[in-house]
Amino acid sequence: MTLKRTSVIAIVLLLAAASGFAEPAPAGDAGKALSVRSFQFKYKDADKAAAMIKALVSPDGSISIQPSTNSLVVTDRAENLKNIAVALTKFDAPARALKLSVRLVGAARVEPQKATPVSDDLKDVALKLSMLRFNAFEDLGSSAVDGKEGDPGIVELASGYRADFRFGEYDPASDSIKINDFKLARLQGPKKDQLTPLLKTSLNLKVGQTVILGASKVPQSERALMIVVVARR
Amino acid sequence: MISCQNFRTMLAPGTDDPSLLRHLRTCEACLDYAIGIDADLLFRSLGGEELVPPGGVDAFAADVMQQVRVRQAEGQVVAHHGAPGWPRRLAIAAVVAAGFSTSTLVYLNRQPTVSNPLSAIAVRPAAQVSFENAKLTTKPVVESYSSDNATIVEMAAEGPNDAKVVMIFDEKLPADL
Repeated sequence: MTLKRTSVIAIVLLLAAASGFAEPAPAGDAGKALSVRSFQFKYKDADKAAAMIKALVSPDGSISIQPSTNSLVVTDRAENLKNIAVALTKFDAPARALKLSVRLVGAARVEPQKATPVSDDLKDVALKLSMLRFNAFEDLGSSAVDGKEGDPGIVELASGYRADFRFGEYDPASDSIKINDFKLARLQGPKKDQLTPLLKTSLNLKVGQTVILGASKVPQSERALMIVVVARR
Repeated sequence: MISCQNFRTMLAPGTDDPSLLRHLRTCEACLDYAIGIDADLLFRSLGGEELVPPGGVDAFAADVMQQVRVRQAEGQVVAHHGAPGWPRRLAIAAVVAAGFSTSTLVYLNRQPTVSNPLSAIAVRPAAQVSFENAKLTTKPVVESYSSDNATIVEMAAEGPNDAKVVMIFDEKLPADL
């Protein structure tokens, strides 16, 4: 009898608690139902696609990567899945053709009377670098490399500098192209056959924008190497 | 009193036979013999003759039963005053539950937004951030550099078509770059 009473009380309390904690069901509750959709990729990696749509997936959703089939299984609300599908369709495009122009300029700070006039092809750079008090410029060569996303590229200049890199992916969100593992080295030695590494970096280059990447030991250095790069699609 | 021969004939492990136990208390030889068969017989043989409580067994039993009745009466009194009956318990539970539900509903209605702010915050960007309509984001020009000790200074461009200057100051770089 005592057990029966206790059970009745427990049930009443549970019902009361349940009614108290239950959130009011919104009118569009049916729209919160989760759907599952699979996406298989032809050109891009599934893990990169997962990283790309991570921000688009709602807290109720989830992503499962299937490496064996290079596909993603996305669980989310139907409405959100539509946006994700659009994004993934655009993402899984064939590798885009890209181009990287590289120009090396030696910049120095010299006494004004010793400064030579800046040649026409360096005036754009000289103007920008004058704010850093560089007033002497030397053209160390230039080259352009065509390729596709994922392709390697090599620039060899007569001045002995050599740059190799890998084209990354074009990012529509920032309208930029990633340049991976940009390694700059210089041929040195009596016979100019010893390749000395200078720096290694990865860059995000906005399409069409000229980027002057200067390198020196310290801000007060009298000399700096300017790597002028422009990425295009 | 049984003989030693009868004792040993009748003895069985775990026996409670009073005549056997009485024999054990008087016969050392049979005690040694019995312990060899069942060591517990040593303890069973202790205690001597049948115990009779003072005043006799009936008086003892009457006292015990009286104590039992007193304890039962005490339990009933405590139960009557200490715990209410089930209708009363149900009423109390209903009042508590009603109060709890009311306070919860009042709390929920006083919230300016939905009750789960985290989900609201997280859902909104997911619904609004469409791939096409997303604003252009800005990434740092130098995403990584080989030396951790280098200082990288990115100067703001005057416009989207203006050249951007990024300086890398690295002690490891040669002076004659």
